[in-house]
Amino acid sequence: MSKALQIALGIITSIGGFLEIGSVVTAAQAGAAFGYQLLWAILLGVLCLIFLVEMSGRLAAVSKHTIVDAMRERFGFPFFSIVLLVMVLVAFLVLVAELGGIGLSLQILTGIGFPWWAIPVSFIVWALMWRGTFSLIENGASLLGLFTISFAVAAVKLHPDWGSTAHGLLPTFPGDQKAKYGFIAVSILGASISPYLMYFYSSGAIEDEWDESYIPINRVIASFGMSFGGFLSMAVLVAAALALRPKGIDVDKYEQAALLMTTALPRWGFYLFGVAMLFACLGAALEISLAIAYFFAQGLGWNWSENLTPSRDARFSLVYTIIIFLAAIPLVLGVDPIKVTLMGMALTAATLPLAIVPFLFLMNDPIYLGEHRNGWISNSVVTIVILISFVLAVISIPLQIMGS
Amino acid sequence: MKLVRDVLDKQLIDREECEMGRVSGLIMHVGEKSQPRITYIVIGGETLWMRIHPSLASFAKRLARTWGPKRDGPVRIPWSRVETVGRDIKLDVRGRETGALDWEIWIARHIIEHIPGGGEKGEEEE
Repeated sequence: MSKALQIALGIITSIGGFLEIGSVVTAAQAGAAFGYQLLWAILLGVLCLIFLVEMSGRLAAVSKHTIVDAMRERFGFPFFSIVLLVMVLVAFLVLVAELGGIGLSLQILTGIGFPWWAIPVSFIVWALMWRGTFSLIENGASLLGLFTISFAVAAVKLHPDWGSTAHGLLPTFPGDQKAKYGFIAVSILGASISPYLMYFYSSGAIEDEWDESYIPINRVIASFGMSFGGFLSMAVLVAAALALRPKGIDVDKYEQAALLMTTALPRWGFYLFGVAMLFACLGAALEISLAIAYFFAQGLGWNWSENLTPSRDARFSLVYTIIIFLAAIPLVLGVDPIKVTLMGMALTAATLPLAIVPFLFLMNDPIYLGEHRNGWISNSVVTIVILISFVLAVISIPLQIMGS
Repeated sequence: MKLVRDVLDKQLIDREECEMGRVSGLIMHVGEKSQPRITYIVIGGETLWMRIHPSLASFAKRLARTWGPKRDGPVRIPWSRVETVGRDIKLDVRGRETGALDWEIWIARHIIEHIPGGGEKGEEEE
């Protein structure tokens, strides 16, 4: 495959794979409750994600280590086991949310309640992992995720005020509802800066056998793919601000989020929302399941590759099999996927230092990166954003829990 | 070579390029007159969990005796079988003959191969 084609495919899959239930629900809530005021949180999250994704690819291309590989080696098993426990628990919550997102999308398309979809959906996700290859998961699911571009179409059709939109890119303090504002900002940051995405991306670079010649390609894919993906998140927020806020609709239910499409596209917006979210959540569920299995296999030194027959990496295959079916249980019991989503995103933000600080140490280690280690700009941007996310999470999560 | 930085927790690869696990611990021989030297690489849950807390190690030991391939004690690989120490540690052994892959094989035989599409029985022997 030529380099230009690889870049194009990488950018397209990044765009298609960017939105998932977390980014859509948090952006829709932000737009519905605060208009354009929280656009800065998406901008900040995406900026940080661009740096982190670029670093994940660079680490793999130069050192031939995935993040998890290097973390276990550099920090030893006792520290690694804490990261494993926390990251897997948070990623599991996010997986429940994504499977719930598929179920809710099917609910609005068919009228059959999401708990009935939990087992069939889990089975389909598992079967795609069991029989599929890495490129099927990376490219196939992400290409279907391009349906999410319809959010941008909806936002443009609602004729946003571009001046006010630009104002939203600068942080402002809210007049009231400070705890809610902080909690949504944290959830947006958690939805944007997903550590599982970094684990998935660095593992993908090893699966695709990247070497140092991929460093420029990696930089282009990370910058453009994540930026365009971020624009889609912003489009959801803008559409929600224009379609939901004037009617006083708060996004507590999935069906309410779907209304952000129906104002712009009255005839088929509702169903388009269902289809777009179905594929977006499917892609994310596949990526998270794989990321959790990668975490165990790489950290404990097992055979791993999505391209192998399951019996050749039996422990790796068993991990994703168990995780996917465990994630279906809360959904069968009727746990609200939207609540799981918001809690999952906020906890992701709160636990970011545990995932990112050791990663920054690795990215500055000459043993792994040599001359390709981080410069001060990457270190500063990531450290500042992680610090902001953590402080916001520590303040707003307890306030939000007490408030509700 | 620095043992903790360069050896402990490193990936182990056998002569067939199969991933055998990571270095859980090292056994050192300390003679009265000779210099201390590494004699074995240890792979296994018990040694690994001991690095966090002894009670976790005894739990891992009980589990290993009652369930799965029922192995008694961790796997030891003589240091003399180490070929290179670099990105990974390459060993001149066949992983499946050392016991390091007992769980991998047990799970493949007892669970994975019984699920359609899991792989042909005996495929891993090729």
